[in-house]
Amino acid sequence: MKPSLLDTLLDPDQLSVCFQPIFLIRGESNRLYCLEALVRGPRGTNFERADIVFDYVRRKRAEAVVDRSCVVAICDAAMDLPPQVRINVNVHAATLGHKPGFVEFFHNQAKRRHLALDRFTIEIVEHAPTCNIPGLTDGITALRELGVRIALDDVGLGQSNYRMMLDCHPEYFKLDAYFVLGLSVDPKRRAVVESVATLASALGSSVVAEGVESSQDLAQLGRMGIELVQANLLCPALSLEQLQARGLVAATEKPQSAQPAGNLTTLQAFELGSPKPFALAARQSS
Amino acid sequence: MAEKILIIDDDEQLADAYKEYLTSLGYRVDCAQELEEAETLLAHFSYSVVITDLRLSKLGFGGLDLVKHIRELSLKTRIIVVTGYGWPELKAEASAHQVDAFVKKPTRLSDLAKTIGSLAGGV
Repeated sequence: MKPSLLDTLLDPDQLSVCFQPIFLIRGESNRLYCLEALVRGPRGTNFERADIVFDYVRRKRAEAVVDRSCVVAICDAAMDLPPQVRINVNVHAATLGHKPGFVEFFHNQAKRRHLALDRFTIEIVEHAPTCNIPGLTDGITALRELGVRIALDDVGLGQSNYRMMLDCHPEYFKLDAYFVLGLSVDPKRRAVVESVATLASALGSSVVAEGVESSQDLAQLGRMGIELVQANLLCPALSLEQLQARGLVAATEKPQSAQPAGNLTTLQAFELGSPKPFALAARQSS
Repeated sequence: MAEKILIIDDDEQLADAYKEYLTSLGYRVDCAQELEEAETLLAHFSYSVVITDLRLSKLGFGGLDLVKHIRELSLKTRIIVVTGYGWPELKAEASAHQVDAFVKKPTRLSDLAKTIGSLAGGV
């Protein structure tokens, strides 16, 4: 019997990971600051696209278990990156806020592969109201104690609001592309971006501008003091091999003692306190 | 451009048989085994025809909810209900939600294709 889509997503080998660089741009100089790990669904299916697969995951309310599967896939891929390269990992606020055990799971996956935790930034994404703020802030505190940095994704949209800025106290505000696109010719967008930059500065955070599509917008960001930029204009999401071919990261050897993680079985995905996914629960009760 | 069809059925073998046959006729076919999978596909892609069972029993899901959902998304999409349950009571219920055609299980693939052709205008 063919596994359900959710069961397929819980096998990290069915996921693929690519990386999009975030650059630090100062004047004429431009250097790699970190890589955002981006997970794709099963190859050759409609669910390969990230927007579609995570739409499905949210409809299934399976963010917590799929986030863990993504962490395994990303940690596996990160073993091939040079140790000085920082890595951003997307995690739903619901995973941190409602499902105890994620931080321990993440710690164990990184440790098993000898990946230093201070290389990681967790990007908090949220598409639904976060009810369990104390749980979320506890999770963030635990991550920080491990050396992990925090970014708030999609700032300006949806649930990435002022309260999340205060509660998460992120090191990075990831400004959504909606506000960046056309910035150079739209004074209203400039006003919004300037206000976010001012707020970030006052809160001790840095702004990462996403979705820059023109050199004019890029130059405008520079004039506004926003130095961290993630954009297809500079570099799209690429496989590790493509990043190496472009000279953005050096090839590296895997540590000999690293333990291969193998597949995250459905059981393992739930062992740290996550509930059974809807599909399994329904199937077992029928 | 070949017309696009979505088959929603938790009977994997049956859905695969539909898919293989309809693909051989030139249609582009996607399958969904569960409600959320179907809803996600419907949110991201346009389908000329949706073929759905009314009772996806394994997952305890009523296909009529999905029929309503499809109609909310699009009035153009043609909906074919294929079911072996509750005939004709469900037929009357589903008609109220603008189902375009009914096919009773088990059905010949050629009959299903004829129904699709009459609704979609052929490939």
